Order: sequence, then C-alpha cells, then structure tokens
Amino acid sequence: MAITREDFPLPDVNDPVTAPFFAGAARGELLIPRCASCGEYVWYPAEACSCGGTPEWTRVSGRATLFSWAVVQRAFLPAFADKVPFVTALVALDEDGSVRIPTYIVDADPASLVADQPVEVEFRPLSFSTVPGKSVVVPMFKVVAA
Amino acid sequence: MGQIGADTLLGVDWGYASALDDVCGQVAIAGVGETAYTKASGRTAREIGAEAAERAIADAGLQPSDIDGITWSGTFADFDDAAFHEHFGTSHDIWTSPWGGGMAWAATAPYLAARAINERRARHVLNVFPVAWATQRGSMTGGPGEVHAAQSAKQNLEVPFGWFPQPVYFATIMRRHMLEFGTTEEQFGAVAVACRRHANLNPDAVMHGRPMEIADYVAAPYLAEPLRLLDSCLISDGGAAYVTTSVERARDLKQPPAIVRGVGEGYSNTGTHWAQQRAFTSSPQVFSAPGAFAMAGITPTDVDVLTVYDPFTIVSLMQIEDMGFCEKGEAGRFVEGDTLFHDSGKLPFNTHGGLLSHAYVLGIAHVVECVKQLRGIAAAQVPSCEVAVYGGYTGHMASTLVLSRDS
Repeated sequence: MAITREDFPLPDVNDPVTAPFFAGAARGELLIPRCASCGEYVWYPAEACSCGGTPEWTRVSGRATLFSWAVVQRAFLPAFADKVPFVTALVALDEDGSVRIPTYIVDADPASLVADQPVEVEFRPLSFSTVPGKSVVVPMFKVVAA
Repeated sequence: MGQIGADTLLGVDWGYASALDDVCGQVAIAGVGETAYTKASGRTAREIGAEAAERAIADAGLQPSDIDGITWSGTFADFDDAAFHEHFGTSHDIWTSPWGGGMAWAATAPYLAARAINERRARHVLNVFPVAWATQRGSMTGGPGEVHAAQSAKQNLEVPFGWFPQPVYFATIMRRHMLEFGTTEEQFGAVAVACRRHANLNPDAVMHGRPMEIADYVAAPYLAEPLRLLDSCLISDGGAAYVTTSVERARDLKQPPAIVRGVGEGYSNTGTHWAQQRAFTSSPQVFSAPGAFAMAGITPTDVDVLTVYDPFTIVSLMQIEDMGFCEKGEAGRFVEGDTLFHDSGKLPFNTHGGLLSHAYVLGIAHVVECVKQLRGIAAAQVPSCEVAVYGGYTGHMASTLVLSRDS
C-alpha cells in the first residue's frame, strides 16, 4: 500500500475528510469539528459524533497547552532530511484538553520547553525540499511569551 | 477487529475487553520451531515460514499430514494453507484462520485453536509467523511504518507535521510518562540492559555477543528525544511456529506440554491514533490481562517469567504496570536493579532478549520462549519456572497468554 500521491508528505488539501482544516488554515483560522447536537468536539474528524449528531467545522481560539513533544534527530522519511532536528508535538486545546493536535513547535529552544505550558497557533507555510514549488499553510504553535 | 467471539464488550472509558470463553486447561502447545534470527538473510517470508513449520511439527513428533489446522496473520499471509500444501506435498483438508500469527495474535492463536479443537474442526493446529523485513528494507516495501501512513488522518494530520512513525509516537508517550510519573531515562535503560543481558546468554539472539551497560545506553544518540536507538527494537528476518492440540493428545506426544491456562484480549477505542488516546500513557493490557489472569486463576505474583511485545522500552514499562506487576506509574522504579534478570530477578523478563535484542519477529518467539522456559531448556533459564505469560501488543489492542507446566 505505497503512497503514490506526488506531493506527499504535504497534506492532501483535497481529501474531503480534512479539507476544511486546511481551508481554515489558509484563512488564518483554526477549525475543529464540533457536534451540532451535543457540542462535543469530534477529533480526528469523523462523519458522525458518537452521540449520532453531525459535526460542523468550528473556529477555536488557537490557544492550547503543550501536552508532549519529541525532538526529532533522525529523518524517517527523505523529505525530513533537511528539517532535522525539529520539534513535533501534541498540543491540547484550551476548549477541550482531549483534542490533541499534532504540530510543529516553532521559534523555541527545545531545551526550554516545559510540559503543559501555554502555546498559541501560528499559521505558516509548510514545504519540503522533496516537493519543490509547493507549500501548504498549516497550523504550527509557538510558546506564549511570559 | 479480531473475530475471536467478542460476544460481550466490557465497556470501560477508553477501551474494552473481549469476553472470551473459558478455555483453561483444555489445550497445550505441544511443539515449537524457530528459524535462525538474522539481519538481512536474502530469504522470503514464505521460505522462512516453511522452515519454522517443519521444525515445530518435528518438535511435536508429528507429520505434516497430522496438521489439520493452520492460523496466520491475515496482513502477512506468507505461509498459509496453500503454501503449506505446496511445501509439504499434502492435499488434505485444513481448517484455517487469518486471525493468528504474530503480534497480539501470537497470544490469541491458542484460543482460536482451542475453539477449533473443541468443535472438532481440527486436531493439531499450527500457528506460524515469518518475517523478512530486514531483507525487504532495501526495496522500501513492507515494514511497520508504511501500513500506518496510508490512513487519511495520519497522512494529512500527522505525517506532514513530523509526528510519524512509531519511534516518534512512542517518544512523545515516553516523555509524557516521564512528566506524569517521574520515570527517568535510566529506568527505560534498565529494560534495554536486561534484554541485552539475556540476549548475551542466548546464542540464537541477533545481539548475542554485543554487551550493553547503562552507560552505553545513556551515551547512545537520540532518534527522537527522549527515545534512543537503544530504546527501539531490531529489524530482523526470522520466524517461528507452534503446534497446539488438546492437553490429552499433547501428553501422548514428544514434549512436556505447555498448558494454556488463560487468554485475554483488550482494545483501545482510538485504535492506532495514539495522539487521541485518552489514557495516553497506558496500554490496552489494562483491559486484556485481568481476564486472562482470572481464567488462569492466578495473580501477577504467580508469574515466574514474563515476555511482552517490546517494540520500545516504553511499551514494556506500560505493559508491566498495566498487567498489575506494580502500581500504575511505578514501572520505572520497579525495573531498577536486577528486578528483570532471569536468575536473580523478582520478575524475569524477556529472557530471550525480546524484540530489542533477540529478534524482531513480532512476538512469536516470545511465546516460544515461554514454552522453552516451562520445559526447562531456555538459554537464560529461570529456576523452577511453572507459570509463563506473554503480553501481546499491536497498537490498537493488547492480548495476554498464560501458560503453565503440566502438573
């Protein structure tokens, strides 16, 4: 089951499951599906909420906390060879701490990161040297200045 | 989802256990077979599977024509009934299931065999699992990372952000375990050191002859901090197989039977989306182990040797505490010193070397090691070994197999 999409590992912005996430990012908005019936966030995106209701992509504040992270030293895919070392993280939304978003932590010394510290979204273009000429605006996060 | 008879789902917050029929004392593992465990061998998984099958059948004192049931892992169907017939030149009816093989299913395959044997569909059931990922690595096909990348949420929401593959997932789980419970890097290292110590007593282990002490572990480079290369399993070629039959029949065959006393199976509701797993620093052993131990009529203190599926040291620590060998969050302190050592330890652990230092054959060799320990023929033999447990793990699920000596 090899990946055949040419712009991998950029996200597929046309994949209907996640397209609104990236459309929102392009507009500077962090959108997460939220059930119209019960109000719970549905993450990762799914066709229906566990209560049976329909999720709608909803803007959230962009504020979160740093749940966990790794400082990646080795490129596991060729596309990441010129990015290492980098910080990949899970950030937990202020609106609902069980919603965790995989993301990059930017503009921080990895040694200075502290668990559960406040972070906030920063939309930046993501590109890979292995996919020349293409980039996708995605949510990244930075530490909130004290 | 494994079709193992999940008639009742015992609902718990972030996952659940399957309710299994009581098969305590009904079947036994009567024969085991292993191939050489190596780095790239140039062999195919099918060839490796055939060799493992031959050896298990011979070990049981049976003939290929006696094998009337075969189980394997459906996603790795390298040695199925067609391959069996082609290799052995047989043509008899064989009951089959793709819900066996390795990983978590190396623990539950004997349960499938028990059901088939009870229903008179088969008499001698062969479970086989070969892997040739070390040879395949060069062609960039197969391997654990690829299976995961194909899913939509992973492709668009994880991979682009570098949250991929398994070493990175488990690096973040490792860090959260350190943050929540105070687990230290040296404590993760203690698991790696114990596995390497056992591998150095085991001539069949890939890392035999390559000692490692805690200073070596601490000095090793990070793959994704805080996870080091030495926290991670090997990539290997090799395979193993075992034959399950009724206890009565096993007593007539060549080897001392390894009696199946308990089997358990548990699932995470968020599957392989670890990022969203509510109990981020736990494994589905919390759901699987209790049922297996209850079926076997044992508690953790009765266990003489524990093998767990150990792709990373954090997965070992989580399973040890989730199976109840210590309190939740205490596994780091628990594994310090000689706790895990085969000869002096309170809980002899992965006595063949585990995935970390024996071979990456995804758990099938762990079950074989349990059987060898119960027979008294293991390389790093635990004194007076009566009860052996294998904890299987495949990300979205965990499983538990309790074996004992014939009393």
